[in-house]
Amino acid sequence: MGSFATLKRICSERDGRLGLVFTLVILIFAIVGPLVSPDPNLIDVKARFAPPGAAHLLGTDNLGRDLVARTSAGTRYALALAAMIVVISSVVGSLIGVVAAVAGPRIDRVITGVFDIVNAFPPLILAFALIALYGKGPITFVLLVTVVFIPQFGRMARARAQSLRSLSFIEAERMLAVHPATIVARHYLPNVAGPIIVLASMNLPVVIAFEASLSFLGFGVQPPKSSLGTLIKDGFVSINQSWWPIIAASLVLAIATLGATLLGEALRRVIDPKTTGAR
Amino acid sequence: MMDAISISKARLRFGQTIALDDVSLAIPQGTCFGIVGESGSGKTTLMRAILGLQKLDQGDVCILGMPLSHSRAALKKRARVLQPIFQDPAASLSPRSRIRTLMGEVATVLNEPLAVTYERLGVILNRLGLPKGILDKYPHEISGGQARRVAIARALLMKPSILIADEPTAGLDVSVQGDLLNLLQDIRQLENMTLVVISHNLAVVRLIAENAVVMRAGKAVESGDVASMFQSPRDAYTRELLSAWPRLRVE
Amino acid sequence: MAISVRNLSVDYNLSHVTAHALRDISLEIGKGEILGLVGESGSGKSTVAFALMGLLANNAKVTSGTATIGGRSYDLTRRDATAPLRGRGMAMIFQDPMLSLNPVFTVGTQLCEVLRRRLPGGDRKAHVAMAEEALAKVKLSDPKRRMGQYPHELSGGMRQRVVIAMALLSEPVLLIADEPTTALDVTVEAQIMREIVSLRDRIGCAVLLITHSLGLVTEYCDRISVLYAGERLEHGTVKQVQQQPGHPYTRMLFDCEVAIDRQRAVNVTENRFTVIPGELPDPFRRPSGCIFNGRCDVSFDACATTVPDEFAVGDAADHGARCLLLAGS
Repeated sequence: MGSFATLKRICSERDGRLGLVFTLVILIFAIVGPLVSPDPNLIDVKARFAPPGAAHLLGTDNLGRDLVARTSAGTRYALALAAMIVVISSVVGSLIGVVAAVAGPRIDRVITGVFDIVNAFPPLILAFALIALYGKGPITFVLLVTVVFIPQFGRMARARAQSLRSLSFIEAERMLAVHPATIVARHYLPNVAGPIIVLASMNLPVVIAFEASLSFLGFGVQPPKSSLGTLIKDGFVSINQSWWPIIAASLVLAIATLGATLLGEALRRVIDPKTTGAR
Repeated sequence: MMDAISISKARLRFGQTIALDDVSLAIPQGTCFGIVGESGSGKTTLMRAILGLQKLDQGDVCILGMPLSHSRAALKKRARVLQPIFQDPAASLSPRSRIRTLMGEVATVLNEPLAVTYERLGVILNRLGLPKGILDKYPHEISGGQARRVAIARALLMKPSILIADEPTAGLDVSVQGDLLNLLQDIRQLENMTLVVISHNLAVVRLIAENAVVMRAGKAVESGDVASMFQSPRDAYTRELLSAWPRLRVE
Repeated sequence: MAISVRNLSVDYNLSHVTAHALRDISLEIGKGEILGLVGESGSGKSTVAFALMGLLANNAKVTSGTATIGGRSYDLTRRDATAPLRGRGMAMIFQDPMLSLNPVFTVGTQLCEVLRRRLPGGDRKAHVAMAEEALAKVKLSDPKRRMGQYPHELSGGMRQRVVIAMALLSEPVLLIADEPTTALDVTVEAQIMREIVSLRDRIGCAVLLITHSLGLVTEYCDRISVLYAGERLEHGTVKQVQQQPGHPYTRMLFDCEVAIDRQRAVNVTENRFTVIPGELPDPFRRPSGCIFNGRCDVSFDACATTVPDEFAVGDAADHGARCLLLAGS
């Protein structure tokens, strides 16, 4: 199916349209934000806790920094991280998953064992442990969240590859003595891609929220850089003085996750109609 | 002359069910051999064992005198001798690869210059009545009949001496099934191949095969040359199969 | 005639185009008769069954057609026209018995449900007894135990027997069997066909057997209708049609059938299979003239322009075919 046809079918239902609109709004906000607002780190003590107005569309925070600029920067940061994490973990995950399904029972047992170990920890706890070990910073963050998400993609790819294994076209390739690496690359991977793309799009909001939670707890982005999590936390601390800051960042987080979720669901209904209803 | 395929004392169980029960048979080179049976008779399992897709609990399979091994080197050797034509040939073409890519894989496997492979392919396509333009298409863009021929063309490109066709007429209308059967017969004669046909269609096997085996519940209940087997079946089950076959009665 | 269908036409609406699945199909089945409706894939034979049962897909539309069943007339162009007949008056056996069976209820429950609908207010115990009897009649072993079993515990042939027992209990006027044995082995096929025949003998219903197998038709049916690309090309008694096929398509179809007693020739080149060359006509644009023109081996100029009427074949009044070759005679 062409990408245009996919888009058309997503737009044909209400949830898909809503998801697309929300996602576009967030993207535009992330891109256009810095053009219409001052430097996100520009401190203006005189304008502390300014309410929304002509000068500051979303008001300012406890140091008088413009909230449009800060929220937009946070959104950009969250989106970039999420995209990077989802792309890396889906590619690596599907490769490992397919290998597990194809390479024989011994390797399969090792790989699924590792998946089980990673999954046995609640993601946040695992994140704390890894951050304690390797320190804070965006690269550690990307690596660790990627590791946390790989098993999900790996499991799905493994399950799909296992059901492909007994299909005639894979057996025909084997009977032709085509090299196993070629079979994996050319015949397994393209055929597990559909559900993986869907899972990736559904994980996008999860990663955005995960990043926000870690930053909220102080393990993510470090000041003065802004992230949706730190913005909510700062807003939360100063909620007695002003309730603007927390609203702006929360709203962006809500729209971003809701939009990406709706879009992911719609994408799943289009690409993978068979699994509708089951996660 | 050495047998194309010989199986001795093949046994296989899946849990409680016995899939193959002491099956022995020999398929002479250059002949057409039928494996007949109803669903669950073990005929497909037998085929998979011959192809090396299913390991046996006991017993041996020899292809042209070589014992079947699962090593990669043996698989590469076997692929040049033995090729399957699967039941649903459209499903035996990888859905996200162009047919040209699929054919190109043969060149890699045979370690042959691509130009040489394509030259041979041109001859094969011509014989199967397939247009050259089909190479640029994806499997879902061609008709079922064409997909069938493409799958056969790809098997032939390997220059095998044994072809194994699994239920070649399944799902085909009577008015078109003959086309495929005639084609398989022609190929066999022209290339002097061994053809193994797995089928539940007794009438087809009777006409196409010289020798056949009747399978039931994992056992080879009767085997021998087709003419005498169908004329005077020795086994009670073979007789039952033959009498149950609907006849075109003209009074 | 117990059952008749007149001028049934069905269209399938796809996004931009309309496919004519059936064009002016008429059928007659006498009481206690088995009519074999024969056709290859794309002939529309299953569409006939679905149109009669009111089970057509949403994008299908009956553009014309009336059915007379049990003395009453039904306008098939109306949605759910035959709904009152479902479960009483009309029964259906599908290729896949699981389409008729509910996987979460026992065989006994489903058989009693049929009786509850046909004989409302009846005694439950009597229903159970009748259901058991029906299972015994279709020669299902150990009927008492089967009553408590679920469909998945039975083999394909046994499930089909249960469906026949359900049909038996609903005492239909018309039984539609759509490829009832296609998924089954030959030995089971013969048994199931015998059960369908004995069901007909027992309740004297009309049976519409939809199949691609000429073997089944010649062995079990009284009359035959040949469908090709949505049109009925020939109809008559099995004997008439087999001895003197009026339409070239019928003759060629019989020729393609591989007889089980055909001997293998010693000279390998003689073991040829007969084929009807060519392909089905485009379902979106019916060619002018005879629908079989182009694949026919005896066609002439007029075949490309004139749509043949139905002509009598030989002297028999109830044997007709739509071929211009019959026009002169």
